[in-house]
Parts: sequence; structure tokens; C-alpha cells
Amino acid sequence: MTTHKRDYGDLLVLMALAGFTLWYLLDAIRVSSAVQNLLLILPLSLVVLAIVALEVGLRLKKGTLLVREESEDEPLHRTLPVVGLFAAYVISLETLGFDVATVLFVAAFLILKGERNWLLLGGYSLAFGFGVAFFFAQMLPYPMHMLILQG
Amino acid sequence: MIDFVAVEQGLALLFTSFSPWMVVIPGIVLGLIFGATPGLQISMAMAIFLPMTLYMDFVQAMLFLTAIFTGGSFGSGIPAILMNIPGTSSAIATAFDGYPMARQGRHNQALGIALVSSVLGTLMGYLILFVMIQPLSLMVLKLGPSEMFVVILWGMTLIASLKGEQVLKGLMAGFVGLLIGTIGFNELGMARGTMGQTYLLDGVPVIPAMMGMFAASELFKLANKGFIVESKASRKVKVSEIFEGFKMAVRYPWVMIRGGLIGVFVGAVPGVGSSVSNLLSYVEAQRRDKDPDSFGKGNPKGVVASESANSTSEAGSMATLLALGIPGGGATAVMLAAFAMHNITGGPQFIRQQTDVVYAIIFANFAQVFLLLVIGLLFIPLLANIIKVPMRYLIPSVLVLAVMGSFGLTGNMTGPATVLVFSVVGWLFRHYGYSVPAAVIGMLLGAMAEKSLLHSYQISGGNLGYVLERPITLAILALLLVSLFGKRLLGLLGGSRKPAGV
Repeated sequence: MTTHKRDYGDLLVLMALAGFTLWYLLDAIRVSSAVQNLLLILPLSLVVLAIVALEVGLRLKKGTLLVREESEDEPLHRTLPVVGLFAAYVISLETLGFDVATVLFVAAFLILKGERNWLLLGGYSLAFGFGVAFFFAQMLPYPMHMLILQG
Repeated sequence: MIDFVAVEQGLALLFTSFSPWMVVIPGIVLGLIFGATPGLQISMAMAIFLPMTLYMDFVQAMLFLTAIFTGGSFGSGIPAILMNIPGTSSAIATAFDGYPMARQGRHNQALGIALVSSVLGTLMGYLILFVMIQPLSLMVLKLGPSEMFVVILWGMTLIASLKGEQVLKGLMAGFVGLLIGTIGFNELGMARGTMGQTYLLDGVPVIPAMMGMFAASELFKLANKGFIVESKASRKVKVSEIFEGFKMAVRYPWVMIRGGLIGVFVGAVPGVGSSVSNLLSYVEAQRRDKDPDSFGKGNPKGVVASESANSTSEAGSMATLLALGIPGGGATAVMLAAFAMHNITGGPQFIRQQTDVVYAIIFANFAQVFLLLVIGLLFIPLLANIIKVPMRYLIPSVLVLAVMGSFGLTGNMTGPATVLVFSVVGWLFRHYGYSVPAAVIGMLLGAMAEKSLLHSYQISGGNLGYVLERPITLAILALLLVSLFGKRLLGLLGGSRKPAGV
């Protein structure tokens, strides 16, 4: 038997897709209402909006607009710290440099996920972080921002 | 069909000196490493090592680049199977069944299947190329923009409707993906959806977006797990089981031949190539199977279908490159650059005047597939060790590789920022049952779909009746409708017949 639980996230994602489609369509019209500009965007956007309306209609009919079938997936909030840490890593690249930011990200991730062997934790973060930053800095033709290593 | 004098000259080009062969093994190894490392791309490996080909003659340069291509097309299947992260878009369908096989502890067999399917697929593709290069190039020339557009729409619809119970969400994801693919300048120089940001003028960087949608979002989902494969016994790498995979692959010759044919013909369509062929082949294998519900749950036929199609696509895209001078994707675009570096222009003229060189490239690829079999076998145990690494070490390491790889592709922070944004989108999509592959393929093909539609509009002068004069377009449109409504229609027909029969 499938059980249902209250979940506003599903509806929010649906609304976000509709919102993006509508915004993009209006932006494209603002740029130019010439047929050549809207040839694909207009019909495709209308199809997406129609599908969203159909999905909402079907859910209203079934009474499942604000509920979602229970799944085996991890609840979103359990993964949120990992997503937050990854976001912090990407945002900090320009200030901390690819070398230091990577070492800190790997170390923080290991601590977050329960690694308590401090020697392994420190050794791996330093070796992997500096190693991979150095490898890419050597391989890529553009300068990479580094704090300690040569970019 | 085959010019035997040129065949003899082609063989002479390859076997009078050992020097062309010296670059093949390093090329395959490089392809395997770049293909198997999430975040690094085959086209990136080829681009990075392209300057080295300046020191080679043209045949040697082509052998080196095609060796990277061959190694990479199998290599990209390795993370698809072990981590559900297709190394490139050509291995998307490999992950559908390869990864469930790995989660069931059958990763060795899955890798064995992928290797044999890749080797036999590449062999089949180049054999077809050898016989068909001239007729094939004529056929590709007949595909106009309207055919290209409906091929894209058909492919999209097939991919979006893969998850039967969530078709609406699949279509939504695919179509929004197509819209995202059109962000930036269009053919007429109008910039849409850029929010005033100059880095979006060329569109959303698709490969970093793909890394975020596939790699990072999947890793977020696995963040609270100990290992990719939880059971300790299932994490053992056994060469005997890889050989078992070899046998499993040859048990499905029709799946492989069908995948090969789809791969070579779809691969010849510029821009579509292996990204779509592996998915089309997978869908076809699933559609024709007695037990379609077993697909997506670790059915070896899924891996055979995908890997045979993406390997033969290499030969298909080579046909377009050699015969028309049009690159089918990133990798062949780099090869086109190598053509230019050696003052060679691909196209019908090239085929006519340098047939021996064309045949030499084809013959060299026959040999490359056997080398891939040996080198791949040596590398699988090394690369398969990835699943023994605890997830808390693997996840941040792969995320870092994706971020660095995306920086490598864009040369600025646009790449890492794109990975971040699309990793969150992919994570939400996965959680709420939207098709991530459909969204990604949509993004890959959005700009091309718009361009094809625009060209059709310009050719027809806005007259819709033009489509009725294009039989191939109509046939593909019919296929699209059948794939969307065929099952329902058959169900209705069956339903309406039943009462009469009872």
C-alpha cells in the first residue's frame, strides 16, 4: 500500500518550472517579437505551461496536490548540509584559491561524515587537495587562482 | 563501393613504418583515463594533446586522436557503471542498467559487457564505414533542417517518456531543458534569458551543467551511504567475473547489431551523434524485449544496447567528418582542428583525392579495437577499485574533480558556478521524479533544435505545407506520434476488441 505525506516541495518545483518558463518567454518577447526569435520558444513554452496545468489538474482531481507518495529517498533536509558545504566550496574558490579551498572542503566533508582518524583526515585532505589543484594548474592553459601553490 | 587500389595504398601507409603505431597505445590510455574520470571529457583530452599532433604527420595525428576517442568512449562507461556518473553524454544509457548491476554487486560483469560491446561496436562501426563511406555521405547530405528538427524532437520524446509512470514530468523536464539550451544569442544575434550577464551570451555551458545534473546531484543523494556497494563481498574485483561479462555480452547479438546500426546512422547526423544514439538504442532494446520492466533494474541487455551504439557512433561521426567536413560533436570538432593544422579540408574532395588516407584511418581503427580489449582489460581492475573507496572519501574527491574540470572547460568561474546551480536542480529533479537525462539532452540539443527550425522556416518562407513535401520528416513525425501514443492506442484497440471476443 502506498502511503502519502504532506510535501510542499513537489508543488514548489512544479511552480518554479512554470515560473522559469513564463519568465523566459516574456524575456524573449521583450528582446524581439519577431517570428524568427519566437519560432521555438513560444510553442515550447506554451506546451510546458499546458503540461504544468494538466499536472496540477490531475493532482487536484486525485486530491494529491500537496502530498507526495512516500519513497525510499533520503529526506531532503538530511542532505542539505552536504549541499551547503559544496556551495560554500564553490563560492570560496575565488577568495581562498583552488588549493586551500579544496583542502578545507575535503577536510570539512570528512568531518561532517564522521571521519575521526585525524591523521588520515589531514593527510588525505592535504595530499588530494594540493595534488589535484597542482595537476589541473599544470594541465590547463589558463591561470588558476591559488593561495599557496603557483597558479 | 570500395576502391581496392586505395586499400592497398592505405595498408602501405600503415605498415611500411612502425611510427604511426607508436602513438596508439598512449592515445588509448589517455582516452581511458580522461573518459573514466568524471569531469574530464574525451574532447578535453583531445584538445589538450592537440598541439602534440603538430609534431606528427597527418595519419599519425589521426591515429593518435582516434585512439583517444576509442579509449574514451569505453572509459566513459566505467564511472557510469560504478558511480552512475556518465563520463560523457554518450554513456547516459549505460548508467541506466550498469549502475543497478553495480549496486547488486555485478559491477565486474557490467564492466566486461561494456568492454566487449565497445570493442565489437567500434569494429562493427568501422566495418560499416569502410563499406558505406560514400553512400552514407550522400544520405547524410539529404537530411535537411526539418528532418534534423524532428529527429531531435523524436529523440527527446523517447527519452522523456522512458519512465512510463511519470511521462508528464519527463516531458516537462525535457522541454524545459530545450528552453535552457536556447538561452543566449540565437542565429539572428538576439540574446535571450541572459539576465544581463555576459557569460550567458554563448548560452549555459552545457558540459558543466551536465556534470552538476548527473554527477553532483547523484553524489548528494549518496552522501549518507557508506559505500557505493554496501555488501563487502560484492566489492571484490574478479577478472573471472569480467570474463563472465564478455560471455554475457555475446549472448545478445541482435541487441548489439541493432545498437550498432542505430549508432552508425544516428552518429552520422551532425550534433546528434552518440548522445542520442545510446538512448535510442536503449529504448529500442527495452521496447522490443519480452520483459521491458526489467530494464533500469540491472538488465545486461541495457548495457549492451548503450555501449554498442555509442561505440559505433564514433564511426558514424567520422563518416560525417571525413565526407562532409562537419564535426558531429566535441571530439570530432577537435579532429577538424587537426585537419586544419595539417592543411587538410574534409569533404567529398578529400574522400576522392585521399582515399588511401581515409582507408588507412579505418584500418588503424580495426587494430585499435583489439588493443582496447587488452588495455581495457588491464585497466578495469585498477579503475574498478573505485567502489572499494568509502563514500565519504569518494564524494568530495569526485565533486572537486567536477569543479576543476568545469573550470578547465570554461576557463573562468562560470563553469564551477554552473555545476553548483545545476547540481541543486538535478538533486531536486531526482527527488521529485523528473527525468534528469531528458533535461540534460534537452539542454544539449536546444540550440540545434532552434537553428534547424529557423532554417526550415527560412527555406519554406514560413509555409507549413513545406513539411508535407518532406517524406522523411513525415515518417519521423509519425514515429514520434507512435512512440508517444502508440501504447495507449494499442491498449484502446485491445480494450475495444476484448468485449467482442469474450
